[in-house]
Amino acid sequence: MSKPLAIPPKRALASKEATLFKDLLNHYETKQLKKGLKTADQILKKYPEHGETLCMKGLVLAHMGRREEGIDLVKKGVRFDLTSHICWHVFGLIQKGEKNYEEALKSYTQALRFDRENLNILRDAAQLQTQLRIFDGLVETRSTLLRLRPNVRQHWVGLAVAHHLNGNLTEARKILENYQRTLKNVPDYDIEHSETLLYYVHLLEEIGDLSEALSVLDANSKSRAIVDRTAIMEIRARLLTRQKSEEAEHAWRSLLEHNPDCYDYYRGYLSNIGVELDHSNPEALRVLKEFSASIPKATAPRRLALTISSGDTFKALAEPYLLTGLDKGIPSLFADIKSLYKDKEKQQAVEDIVEASLTPKDPSSSADVEPTTYLWTLYFLAQHHASLSRPDKALSLLETALSHTPTLPELHLCKARVLKRAGDYYGAARCVNDARLLDGQDRFLNTKCGKYLLRAGMSEEASTVFGLFTKKDAPSPGADLEDMQSLLYLLEEANSHRQYGKPNLALKKYMAIKKVFDEVDDDQYDFHGYNLRKFTINIYMRLLKWEDTLRSHPTYVTAAVEASKIFVAVHDDPSLVTSLSPTNLTDAEKKAKKKAKKAAQKVQDDKKASPAASEDKGLEATPQKDDDPDGLKLLASPDGLEQAAKLLHPLSTFCANNIDVWIAIYDVAVRRKKLLQALTALNHARSLDPEHPELHIRAVHLKKTASLLPQPPPAPIGPIFLETIPKIIPDDVSLETFNSQYLQRHSTCSRAILAAAKVLLNLGAPREEVEQTIFTSLRDEVTLDIPSALATLHFLESLKAPRAEDFRAACDAKFVSSTIFKTAEEQRALRQLVMKGSVDASSSPDEVVP
Amino acid sequence: MNVRPIRVDDLPGMQACNLQNLPENYTMRYYLYHAMTWPSLSYVAEDHKGRIVGYILAKMCVDISEGEEPHGHVTSISVLRSYRRLGLAKKLMIQSQQAMCAIYNASYVSLHVRKSNRAALGLYRDTLGFTVKDIEKKYYADGEDAYAMHLSLK
Repeated sequence: MSKPLAIPPKRALASKEATLFKDLLNHYETKQLKKGLKTADQILKKYPEHGETLCMKGLVLAHMGRREEGIDLVKKGVRFDLTSHICWHVFGLIQKGEKNYEEALKSYTQALRFDRENLNILRDAAQLQTQLRIFDGLVETRSTLLRLRPNVRQHWVGLAVAHHLNGNLTEARKILENYQRTLKNVPDYDIEHSETLLYYVHLLEEIGDLSEALSVLDANSKSRAIVDRTAIMEIRARLLTRQKSEEAEHAWRSLLEHNPDCYDYYRGYLSNIGVELDHSNPEALRVLKEFSASIPKATAPRRLALTISSGDTFKALAEPYLLTGLDKGIPSLFADIKSLYKDKEKQQAVEDIVEASLTPKDPSSSADVEPTTYLWTLYFLAQHHASLSRPDKALSLLETALSHTPTLPELHLCKARVLKRAGDYYGAARCVNDARLLDGQDRFLNTKCGKYLLRAGMSEEASTVFGLFTKKDAPSPGADLEDMQSLLYLLEEANSHRQYGKPNLALKKYMAIKKVFDEVDDDQYDFHGYNLRKFTINIYMRLLKWEDTLRSHPTYVTAAVEASKIFVAVHDDPSLVTSLSPTNLTDAEKKAKKKAKKAAQKVQDDKKASPAASEDKGLEATPQKDDDPDGLKLLASPDGLEQAAKLLHPLSTFCANNIDVWIAIYDVAVRRKKLLQALTALNHARSLDPEHPELHIRAVHLKKTASLLPQPPPAPIGPIFLETIPKIIPDDVSLETFNSQYLQRHSTCSRAILAAAKVLLNLGAPREEVEQTIFTSLRDEVTLDIPSALATLHFLESLKAPRAEDFRAACDAKFVSSTIFKTAEEQRALRQLVMKGSVDASSSPDEVVP
Repeated sequence: MNVRPIRVDDLPGMQACNLQNLPENYTMRYYLYHAMTWPSLSYVAEDHKGRIVGYILAKMCVDISEGEEPHGHVTSISVLRSYRRLGLAKKLMIQSQQAMCAIYNASYVSLHVRKSNRAALGLYRDTLGFTVKDIEKKYYADGEDAYAMHLSLK
């Protein structure tokens, strides 16, 4: 079957050129690119249509950084010789470099048609199949590799893994067992063998053959063939527990002695004796007390005891726990116990204990309390009251503490958090900056400061602050943070631009977040080969699972939802792009833009100047020059909705319970005329929260969209679509009535009022009526928080409503501490104070930095 | 705080913790490289919500010469400022060292620290028992020297 095909005449070379071609392959293998190029040209002089040479020349050029030229040659080469495995292989390499895994695999499959047993191509194809999760194909490729080279150890493990991934665990086990029979003279302390055996044990466990798993584990740990002691103990404890063995208790105890700070081990120990950790249980408490006594260094059992105790027992345990923590000045003490506050009784007990510790021991009256303990106690209490929405109490405690010791950064951070929650973003940023100035070497304080500046919409100042720790040779602090994949930075920067009216820049950063996740998705590629060579299979299997759910990360979810909202907004109102265009920029914005352009140019120049032309640049597509620093081109993308759909695509499986995701999917789908998808998304949202304000807006939108269709949509979707709508809004109810009924049901919820007002506008109600509805959210019985007040204000402003100013003033009066509702002028003045440091801030003379 | 061996899904949390705390940062690929090569050497500390508040990212030295004993290396260790004074760095370090010995038969562990970073130097020397072995000129990208520190595990 695999009879070698005759060489087609077009491929044949005279003996001189045939030798040159061998040289060319050699030059490429040894990365002598310049020589390779010269050799290729020599051949092409005589055989200008020689496909394999054209492809090789293209490959060499791509490696030299002349990518586009190279790719053109490769494509040309393939056309001249469609039956050459070399041509297809080269084409596959190029596509792989572009991360176009699907097309690359097609090319490799072609290459394999003409050279069935080429090990390099087979190995690459296996990696591509794993990346694409084509597991049946993977089994085939790995079987071929093992058949061709059974003496290569990783081929055995590779096939077992392929079967495992393909869901055939029995076959995987068989392969691993056959493999072990081929092994001879495994040296001691062989980590690769140890890892392989651990994988085998794991496989047995997954199959459910627990006793075999245990006996393999025990035999091989005794003989020291498995060397990872922690792994052995963990697996053993788990297996014994699953077998309900009496030895399990001892196994968990050994783990606890090995690492007394691991919560999983306590959980394992307790659940093995039939005790769960999440509710009150005297038996669990007894066990934890025993561990506290036998392992005095461990804090975990003491802390866990607080979770499961109650009443006087809780008080008796909490007191020493809290007082020791205050004594030691543990900054995280409050964060540590806050989760106990779900129980009001515990919350009160904590307050009583900590306040009592303070009352008789005010250091001004007696000298029996350490000043640092006093300080940390004030800090604790401030956090306590802040978390219970008593900002005034918290702030007054912090003032006392700060006048006692103005140099403790934590106090300033805490004050910042209280101010931030009260809506005073400028005051908050100023406090964090004060904290930062107290310890300029601490990046933690620096990061916090940058974040708070972004929350206050001060992205230029944030950039300067971040820049104190980013690489000096980076084009900008933000560019370094983006290169280092700082999701925190990207998200805060994006949110800041979104909040402060720069959707173009926001979109750019949201898309930068998407890119980070794409990179991490691509990162796994090399490990499909690497881990087999290292035999680290257990962790590799977990890598694959993790990569499959990578985009369930909350930062990705937010970025995808917010970016799609921007794409939708610009689709509905394309004038957004022009309103943000340079002619409408302020001077400061123009300056910032110029600066960014200059920095980008510098990077370009540096890149041009540095590497020698013959240096290997690899096959990965190099990042394009950023010709869209202000994100306006991105904002104006003609395929914005398609980009949004792609962003949201992974979320329908990961975020089934997130209503924002379904609303976003609806918004994009309905505009892309994907009616069934829109309907499904809306029904999903309805199943989560039928009265959600955003859903109300979409329900009306859907009905209106359907009524405006020029003709009924075609079967089979059309009829389903039309039949389902009355289930959402009955046909005999007008949209106006539907809306007013909704408003009546939720007349004390500000988000619902805003939703009803938006619907009114959409239904063509006069502006006065819309405004009147909006203003009901200022009534006392309506719960209005800062974010919804702000959303409402933005809506009024977008209408260019004359009463927007009244609404702003009313909010400013309502939220006394907040600065977000101040006039632009007032905000400008506050902004100027932020970076000054409290020494200069004459408005608060109680803060003095020594 | 909960101190335990890393899982793959901890890596973004470790990266975030590192970026927030330290000037030496790495892309995800480098974290993956550590986890995929030495899956049992790195540890994390997490709070009640499962947020990573401290980590140790460790490896074995690969380019050891003939006859040289295998030894471990701490690529990065850090604890968020708000979670200090709990002894987390020491707990993380001890777990990692035990694994280096048990699995790879490491005879000592090494690490680098910026000459100017007194706080870290104090931690490594006074709390964790490391000694300065050497000064590596211009070890860091910005031209700063590093102390090469060692701790014997035998």
